[in-house]
Amino acid sequence: MIVTYNWLKEFVDFDYSPEDLCHRLTMAGLEVDALEEIGGGLDSVVVAKLESVEKHPDADKLTVCQVNNGTETVQVVCGAPNHKTGDIVAFAQVGSVLPGDFKIKKSKIRGQVSMGMLCSGKELALSEESAGIMILPQDLKLGQPVFDALELKDFMIEIGLTPNRPDCLSVVGVAREVAAMCDQKLKLPKPEIAESAEKIDDQTSVTIEDAEYCPRYAARMIKGVKIGPSPDWMVRRLEAVGMRSINNVVDVTNYIMMELGHPMHAFDFRFLEEGRIVVKRAQQGEKFTTLDDQEHEMIAEDLMICDGKKPVAMAGVMGGLNSEVQDDTENILLEAAYFKPTAIRRTSKRHGLHTESSHRFERGADIDMIPVALDRAASLIAELGQGEVLAGVIDNYPQPLQTPVLDLNLSKVQALLDIPVDLQTVQVLLESIGLQVEDGSAADQLKVTVPSFRPDIEREVDLIEEVARLYGYDDIPVTMPVGTVDAVVPPKRQQVQNMLRNTIVSCGFSEAMNYSFYGTDAIQKLGVAEDDPRRQQVKILNPLSEDQAVMRTSLVPSLLETVSRNLAYRSTDLRLFELRPVFLPQEGQTCNERLTLTAVACGRRQPEGWAQGADQVDFYDLKGVVEELLGAINVSDVTFSVDTPEPYLHPGKSCHLLQKKKQLGSIGEVHPQVLAAFDIDQPVFLLELDVEAMLEVSGEYSKFKPLSRFPDVIRDSALLLDESVSAAEVMDIINRTKVKYIENAVLFDLYTGKGIPEGKKSLAVRVRYRDLEKTLTDDEVVKGHNKLIKSICHQLGAEIR
Amino acid sequence: MKEQIEQLQEKALSDLQQAADLKALQDVRVQVLGKKGALTEVMKGMRDLAPEERPVVGSLVNTLKDQFEARFAARQAELQQQAIADKLASEKIDVTLPGRRAVSGSKHPVTLVTEEIVDIFSRLGFMVEQGPEIEQDFYNFEALNIPKDHPARDMQDTFYITDDLVLRTHTSPVQIRAMMKHKPPLRIIAPGTVYRRDSDLTHSPMFHQIEGFLVDEKVTFGDLKGILTHFLREFFGEGLGVRFRPSFFPFTEPSAEVDIECVICGGEGCRVCSKTGWLEILGCGMIDPAVFGSVDYDTEKYSGFAFGMGLERIAMLKYGVGDLRLFFENDLRFLKQF
Repeated sequence: MIVTYNWLKEFVDFDYSPEDLCHRLTMAGLEVDALEEIGGGLDSVVVAKLESVEKHPDADKLTVCQVNNGTETVQVVCGAPNHKTGDIVAFAQVGSVLPGDFKIKKSKIRGQVSMGMLCSGKELALSEESAGIMILPQDLKLGQPVFDALELKDFMIEIGLTPNRPDCLSVVGVAREVAAMCDQKLKLPKPEIAESAEKIDDQTSVTIEDAEYCPRYAARMIKGVKIGPSPDWMVRRLEAVGMRSINNVVDVTNYIMMELGHPMHAFDFRFLEEGRIVVKRAQQGEKFTTLDDQEHEMIAEDLMICDGKKPVAMAGVMGGLNSEVQDDTENILLEAAYFKPTAIRRTSKRHGLHTESSHRFERGADIDMIPVALDRAASLIAELGQGEVLAGVIDNYPQPLQTPVLDLNLSKVQALLDIPVDLQTVQVLLESIGLQVEDGSAADQLKVTVPSFRPDIEREVDLIEEVARLYGYDDIPVTMPVGTVDAVVPPKRQQVQNMLRNTIVSCGFSEAMNYSFYGTDAIQKLGVAEDDPRRQQVKILNPLSEDQAVMRTSLVPSLLETVSRNLAYRSTDLRLFELRPVFLPQEGQTCNERLTLTAVACGRRQPEGWAQGADQVDFYDLKGVVEELLGAINVSDVTFSVDTPEPYLHPGKSCHLLQKKKQLGSIGEVHPQVLAAFDIDQPVFLLELDVEAMLEVSGEYSKFKPLSRFPDVIRDSALLLDESVSAAEVMDIINRTKVKYIENAVLFDLYTGKGIPEGKKSLAVRVRYRDLEKTLTDDEVVKGHNKLIKSICHQLGAEIR
Repeated sequence: MKEQIEQLQEKALSDLQQAADLKALQDVRVQVLGKKGALTEVMKGMRDLAPEERPVVGSLVNTLKDQFEARFAARQAELQQQAIADKLASEKIDVTLPGRRAVSGSKHPVTLVTEEIVDIFSRLGFMVEQGPEIEQDFYNFEALNIPKDHPARDMQDTFYITDDLVLRTHTSPVQIRAMMKHKPPLRIIAPGTVYRRDSDLTHSPMFHQIEGFLVDEKVTFGDLKGILTHFLREFFGEGLGVRFRPSFFPFTEPSAEVDIECVICGGEGCRVCSKTGWLEILGCGMIDPAVFGSVDYDTEKYSGFAFGMGLERIAMLKYGVGDLRLFFENDLRFLKQF
């Protein structure tokens, strides 16, 4: 909503500067988004006199003018047709910046020096007229800024209104708030209207067939109107508040809407068949063309304004093309009505027509304002269009709406706001914004009658808000809650989430955040099978674009995009992760949101530097990270299975994580074809963990194990194994074989090549033996160790090297 | 004999002094005191002396020996010092070469501010709750006093999954879920991802909010001001200017917007605060009785307040990031800075 400073002044006397006014409006809940001076920055456009006007020697349509700006006379080349020697004009001097960021510079036009520009009204955003330059009155002082000289200085104040305040969708409404601030009376317009002898009742009638959707419909008639342009002052005000001037009749309805907040509509009476108005629902499927030339298919829910035969307006939203005011219109039927907010909102949404009118009706217009708005508009139309207002008003208001009367208890005000006010103070505050306040039926109680312009006040708590607002939020004393609280223990879910994040960050990974949605093709790029559950995606009905159309069922595509983008920025050593949900559709209401940790790594293992090698990350870096993560949240007994590899991973360099049969995630090198699909030309490794599954198997923190104070005995054995035997099989036997004193076992070397037969590998195991109670002797260890190695050789066909 | 000893003394002490390193020093010692050393020879020769001469020469020899040993030790210490100094002098490194660092990762700035805010509210007794991102219309709108066909729905452009399922437009549905799950008194903080159908320089279709609310007996608007002022000063700095002004949210009554003194210009007025000196930072209010009605709380007994804020905005102000899009581009050069 835009109002202007001077327009407000017509309805309330106040002394605030524009800046101060804006601050006060903001603090009263009418947040000012912008304050802009009309004619601001145009002080170098001054009143000047044309000392001479001569034809340009080399151009037929140009003139060379000597322009006196009060201090000197300069030459200006001008292309306008309407000026002559002696005229007073608006002169934009060199250095001026006109609306639209149009900079005026010294120039040469067809060989003639031009030191500025003579302006049209349009160039100064003062009027639509652009046929020639502005010719100003002779009595203006030369050299004075044009906006000052013409007394056009004003300020546009743009207010970001909250939807609960339809009363402030008008200059008068905002003025009411200003009046409350400065303790002044609001000066409402009291239109005086001269009526002709002819009676409206003899000419037309209004029938309301649907009083639920249209509780009140009033009309006046104006005859013999001459359609033409509106006066400049009206055009300027309409433009200042963001509306375009159409003609003197339509402009009046818009002007009154802006001034009083009540939308109105003017019909060309000659197009109303049977010369009457019927308010009723549309026929299902009926076609209707609004005055923006758009055809709409109506449904039986939509309320229409009709004449005797056909619809002529979409009630409260937009008039019809078939009854629009035209250049030769003479007789006007002027509508001022009230429509049910939800009905207007539905129709407006359904047909995608959001208008100044529907905006107000759906938030709640002021039903009591109808007669005032109608009279004010009718008299203005008659005045500007030289017409006659017929005698009488048709005002169909079958069931007057009840004004709510609310009880306000002082104890409730104090309980919620904790401010030291008495009943009288509360009464004065509420009366300042036009509420009627009387003594209540109990002591410490007030009876408040809510006027029709405040449909948002329906309950006692709404009144308390008004008290708080008028008292001033900043003046309400600051306190701290007195209640007691239990100690805060973060839920396990949050603990695990934090632990995972902290751990992976400490492993060198940086956290990425991608949108939760991507394109339908994203999952296809991973090459997952048609029947893979990740192909079942939650679709967004109204996505912003095709590449944001479905909810992610995997974080992998977005992260590979991220890798690709970073590689393009020449960041080649990447370690990135996301810890966010994937969305799996699920029978019934909501969807299965599974928190997932996905990480990718590529490039060097160590940061680039003089002291670090250039080794590249590989599978085991990621596996190490997984082991860290599992340890951090106490998940044990995890096995790494190479069955059924993920289709987007290298089949020989990937695995699933299993605990018992439960899938916890996977690790692997990304499949080269998938990398190609994401334009990545270097190996990328990834890990994926289903945090929800991990939550189920995450154990308690491990207990302390006592430390031995005795030395260890170490036995190393190199085993010659078939290449197909996995390290896990060796470790498994070590863990299962019952040998005393084993503290731990480490695979410390893997070797193939010279000295090892084809198809074999050498794996070296270091077993550390230690006892809690005593120093072990070699003899105590050797027997057990030999048994262990024998067991491995026997079960895995290994030989000792 | 005596002269011979004196000559020996002079030579031996001089040799000690001239030994250039520890090995040379050792050689001198062997030359003097070794099995065939000069002094050893003298001592051997004492047998041939007259008995009355023996004590005199013996005394001379002993003096020389003691003197030699003392000088030797001193010289040895000196040369050891020298050797260490020489070694150190030869081992100079360039300390300006960069250190060998472990690979370090980083949390997303939105995570960092979330953790900091949660931490502040945890100390005030607020507990973390989370809710689904795909939410039912009931929790996202209806129960929060935003009925269908109400203009307040225009305040948030919504992504729909079905007629009844939306991508939550705010974290406020967590209020409803938490109140249905727990009985008062309640102090809850709920960070989360939210979605609005809006995308331009200053709007992202996905962003993050943190919601907080407190329900108890006798909670007042002053308490709301107290808690939020405390939080804002804890987060942005002691003595920060904070102001509350009326606003509208369907689920609070009275509702307020909270502004802080511009942290960029200190309230002087700059581009970031549109020359007002103030920055809009969060929305809040006393929980509307209609919301308590949705969760069957006794409005005569309980009151409460709720607040919500955008985390990207807070991160932008805290770290001085000027472009919202950077938060979701995941450029490592950006992420690594936090």
